[in-house]
Amino acid sequence: MAQVFDVITTAAILYAVAAGLLIVFGVMKIINFAHGGFLTVGGYSALLVTQLGLNPWWSPAFAFAIGFLCGMIIERLVVRPLYARPLDAILATWGLGIILGQLITLAFGREVQFVRSPVSGAIDLLGASYSQYRLILVIAAVAVALALGLLLNGTRLGLQTRAVIMNESLARGLGINSGLVRLLTFSLGSALASLAGALITPLSSVDPNMGVPWLVNAFMLVLVSGVSQLSLGLACLVLGGAQVLVSTYANPVLGGLTIVVLAAVLLRLRPQGFARE
Amino acid sequence: MQRRLAILSARTAVLAACLGSPFVAAEDVIKIGIPVGLSGANSVVAPSVVQSAELAVDEINAKGGILGKKVVLEVADDGSGAAGAQKAFDSLIFQKKVDVLITMETSAARNAGLPIVTRGKTPFIYTSFYEGRSCNRYMYVNAWVPDQQVAPIVDYFMKKDKAKTFFLIGSDYAFGRGMLEFTAKYIKSKGGTVLGEEYLPMDGSDWTAIIGKLKAAKPDALITSTAGGAPNVTLTKQLRAAGVNIPYGNLAVDEGTAKSMGTDAEGIFISASYFTNIDSAKNKEFLAAMQKKFGANLKTPNDLSVPEYEAVYAYKMAVEKVGSTAADKVIPALAGVAVEGPRGTIKMNKQRHAPLTMYLAQVQKDGSVKVLDTFKDVDPGDQCPNLK
Amino acid sequence: MSSLPAPDVSAVPADTMRGRSDLRRLLILAIAALLLITIGPAVLPTYLINNLIRAFLYASVALTVDVLWGYTGILTFGQSAFFGIGAYAAGLIFTHAGFSPANAALALAAGIAVSALVAVLVGWLAFYHGASPLYASVVTLVLPIVVAQILYSGGNFTGSSSGLSGFDSFDVSLEAWFRIAGTYLVLLTAVAWLFVRSDAGRVLVAIRENEPRCEYLGLNVSRIKILLLTACAVIAAIAGYAFASVQMVVAPEYAGFVFGTELVIWVALGGRGTLIGPVVGTLLIDVSTAYLSGNLPFVWKLIVGLAFVVVIVALPQGLAPLVMRMFRGGPKLPAGETLSLQPASEEPLAVLAAAGRHAIAVAGVRKHFGSLQVLEGIDFQADHGELLSLVGPNGAGKTTLMRCIGDGAERSAGTIQVNDADIDRKPPYECVALGVGRKFQNANTFETLTVAESLRIARTRLRKPSLWARAASLELPDAALRVIQATGLDQKAAVQVRHLPHGQKQALELAMVLALEPSVLLLDEPTAGLTKAERTLIGQILVELTAQHRLCILLVEHDLDFVREISSRVIVLHQGRIVLDGTVAEVVESELVRTIYAGGPGMGAAQR
Repeated sequence: MAQVFDVITTAAILYAVAAGLLIVFGVMKIINFAHGGFLTVGGYSALLVTQLGLNPWWSPAFAFAIGFLCGMIIERLVVRPLYARPLDAILATWGLGIILGQLITLAFGREVQFVRSPVSGAIDLLGASYSQYRLILVIAAVAVALALGLLLNGTRLGLQTRAVIMNESLARGLGINSGLVRLLTFSLGSALASLAGALITPLSSVDPNMGVPWLVNAFMLVLVSGVSQLSLGLACLVLGGAQVLVSTYANPVLGGLTIVVLAAVLLRLRPQGFARE
Repeated sequence: MQRRLAILSARTAVLAACLGSPFVAAEDVIKIGIPVGLSGANSVVAPSVVQSAELAVDEINAKGGILGKKVVLEVADDGSGAAGAQKAFDSLIFQKKVDVLITMETSAARNAGLPIVTRGKTPFIYTSFYEGRSCNRYMYVNAWVPDQQVAPIVDYFMKKDKAKTFFLIGSDYAFGRGMLEFTAKYIKSKGGTVLGEEYLPMDGSDWTAIIGKLKAAKPDALITSTAGGAPNVTLTKQLRAAGVNIPYGNLAVDEGTAKSMGTDAEGIFISASYFTNIDSAKNKEFLAAMQKKFGANLKTPNDLSVPEYEAVYAYKMAVEKVGSTAADKVIPALAGVAVEGPRGTIKMNKQRHAPLTMYLAQVQKDGSVKVLDTFKDVDPGDQCPNLK
Repeated sequence: MSSLPAPDVSAVPADTMRGRSDLRRLLILAIAALLLITIGPAVLPTYLINNLIRAFLYASVALTVDVLWGYTGILTFGQSAFFGIGAYAAGLIFTHAGFSPANAALALAAGIAVSALVAVLVGWLAFYHGASPLYASVVTLVLPIVVAQILYSGGNFTGSSSGLSGFDSFDVSLEAWFRIAGTYLVLLTAVAWLFVRSDAGRVLVAIRENEPRCEYLGLNVSRIKILLLTACAVIAAIAGYAFASVQMVVAPEYAGFVFGTELVIWVALGGRGTLIGPVVGTLLIDVSTAYLSGNLPFVWKLIVGLAFVVVIVALPQGLAPLVMRMFRGGPKLPAGETLSLQPASEEPLAVLAAAGRHAIAVAGVRKHFGSLQVLEGIDFQADHGELLSLVGPNGAGKTTLMRCIGDGAERSAGTIQVNDADIDRKPPYECVALGVGRKFQNANTFETLTVAESLRIARTRLRKPSLWARAASLELPDAALRVIQATGLDQKAAVQVRHLPHGQKQALELAMVLALEPSVLLLDEPTAGLTKAERTLIGQILVELTAQHRLCILLVEHDLDFVREISSRVIVLHQGRIVLDGTVAEVVESELVRTIYAGGPGMGAAQR
């Protein structure tokens, strides 16, 4: 039973981390390699909350706000000129990630630091004693998914965003301000990454490079899901589950590889991945 | 065509000039090089190590330095790993031309640096506890090895908690594997069983799968040996979050790190050669001096940082004994000097290692450490039988 | 119709002197560099020597990244993995089996073999027909991660996080290593320089510029990329082997993707696609990092990061061209390139026709996109010597049909045979081998290559290009020569294609396709954007191709007068089906056709 929880919580964490990358990829067709940097920003936002002595429950909201702000600035300065050059966009955003990391290091020092967890300990659920915080993360991930889904499907901005995802030139022709959509999307994606960073740090630690290991997993998941939230959820469950199984029965190190290798092979065999067409 | 040639030559000349020039005559200082993990796994403890060295150097300079020369520290970041250590050692030995290296670092960094130490013929005092049996013509060690540290914890668990089955978790590198290998052998020699032995790479922070296996195996006690700071904290946090509360012996955590873990650290057993509450005049003097020098910025002195302080003094004594910093003279001399430090009398005279007084302690709820038992002058065993 | 005058072959003199002066320049530079390397250890401080050895080896790997990315357009983060494989081959064997000359040779061979194998595997995964560049980059990113993780999981065998150290190695002084590493770099740079400037090197640029065009010129692009990757992998592995032997320490970081990304950064900053730029850039940055990062650690990395982002966003060509320009006082014009064009011997197609083969046989072909049916029930045959026009309103499926004939994977159902050979699911380059030549709707050429280089690329399938030299002459079949001469392209051999007027670009593309010596020619709106005179010329050439050279030409065209003048047969498509298949006269008279084209100036409108 604990293993089932492992799978579900791992999938939830992966989902939270990848959701932001998904919408950026969908709207802007670029892979935002600065995503890892935003995760780190979120982690350090949570650290700030701890250092200021505030209630750790504030961290996610705080991180979200900071991430949104940073995203807006970066979209205007760096991402905008690179719409036509997707491979260069990968490189530029990777460079951005480095810059973010260095700025954080200059501000906070390069040691590993720790954030207080809002809840601690395990609870007994369905016959297994399991980490409370990890279970809370499942709830958080579901909340993110629902909020995102609501935004995309229930608001006008969401409708415009979906139009831009499907066919940007047509959307522009219909009067949709695609520049604004892109700005908001990128900022939202960054904010989500930051939020995810704040959510995961109580489980481990905060250091200037904490985002990097998550980045690669996140974007493999996004590549494999196309642009659908549902396929992302499915991908997180399937690939995340595979990771847990390999980690447990073979080797935790090779487990770390599972997502990346399976996704690459899956894309080779079926370029649309988990998406429907 | 000629322009290209000119450009190429110009560039090389400029490069060589800028970077090759500081060839001033031999300076009148003694340089101590400290390659240490300012970033990476050891970044939690590195600041305390540097502070210890700084205090020692301050005190020595206040009394006239070594052989009348001022002592200067050169610190370089080794990234807590092999690749970074290569750069750091290279820079300290060949660029800054230090007279000696005195530092604590991960085994990965140490192993990567040793070939450079050999090539540079620089004395090296390693101040970190480690897995043992690392031998090099230029190296001395003044911290503990498993032969000194493991027995107290295992014996305590087997006697006090009647533990028969153990689970071992470590970081996957020389230290983690070496320590747990020794521990497993010791447990078996005392009639216990090891139910599982699991490793994550040094920078790994997701212990979920391993904790799952631990819980499934239901051992009587847990013993861990991860890399210095960060992995200790992440593992402990995740263990407590998963509700693991069996007797937990941590072979690789120091007092300062334990403090930073907060309430999660309560109940952890530590076996070490230094605790801040050691009741000796020298220790109290040391702590007072540290407090005075660093005030609010003081990082808790611990089992990884205090040996650094003592090692600087050991070097001073050796150099003064032979009247020179020449490596071939200093190295034999290091075996003969005895330092009176916060940990007592330290003499590195057992195959380049030092007999040490070890303490078994348990972390309390408020983060302080309560000493349960003391073992005087524990022998390090046969570490480097092939070195004179 | 009178035929065009025979081509005057002696019009353009060959220039063999230019090639030689290039070689001479290279030789002088190389010797100068080698001299510097030989005296270096005597004058430079030890610390710098240490660093430069490392930097030389890194620069060797950066060179491979430039060839892959700067020249061929494959953004790769994975060269570090091959470096790591070479390094660990040495580390593992020297640690576990000890050091000896035999083991040293074994380790080198193992490093080369394993890296080559991995390269082939990665190439198969990443470069399959239809793979997107993003996917290829993703695979090259995944590779070093996988290699590093495998190393981490190796426990005591690979040393895991600690890596391996303290093993014995070659008893060679540091100074000697400096010379060895330096020489390796110089030689590699020289060889690479020769290669990228050779005819084979131009193929790489062509692939970067316009991969589909290369496929349709019969080049097996996947195989070329895999071969290139394998060669680069071996070069990187050798550098890694040397690195391990010098440093006597190997760690997983050297195979990881952070290092792989650093290589890309160095190449980008140095100037991608310039070879010298990345080499010098790597040397400068690596050595500077060693000196400056001790004093201002984070600031230095921040500076490099900023420079990188700025370069990518604003100066994609890197800093090298800027520096070069400062020294040269202005952008340098490409050296005048002349190429002599000769007629080639070609297989007379009359032989094929006589064997009674159909040039094209299409049966039951269907094509749908999702639920949208684009082509339905297409059946027809065409023979050598026929000039068959496909007409129909927009959206009728004409271009789709062309695509299906040129690419076996396009159609959803049915069979297509070219010269009685089933094209099955063959990719474009194999269809070209069966005799298909396709000219695209918009002038689909290689923008930064010259006219001569483009023609050379077109001949690559039939004449293997040299790996180190540029041929002074080029053979072209009669038909291609005619097109070139008639449109004045022979006077513009050294001009870059992007500077040509539209009409000449179209003509060039036609000439390139004809250079393939196809037996079936697929032309998609060849007269689009041409002047009346140009159109007449093309028409004459096409008719000649079918009459004298017995080509089968399938033509999609909107200019119905053009169609009427030159076609021998017309097929009318409407809403994905063939509605009429007959002679020009039959189609012109047809009521059905008029209905389809109702309202517009129809084919027979002028006569009614």
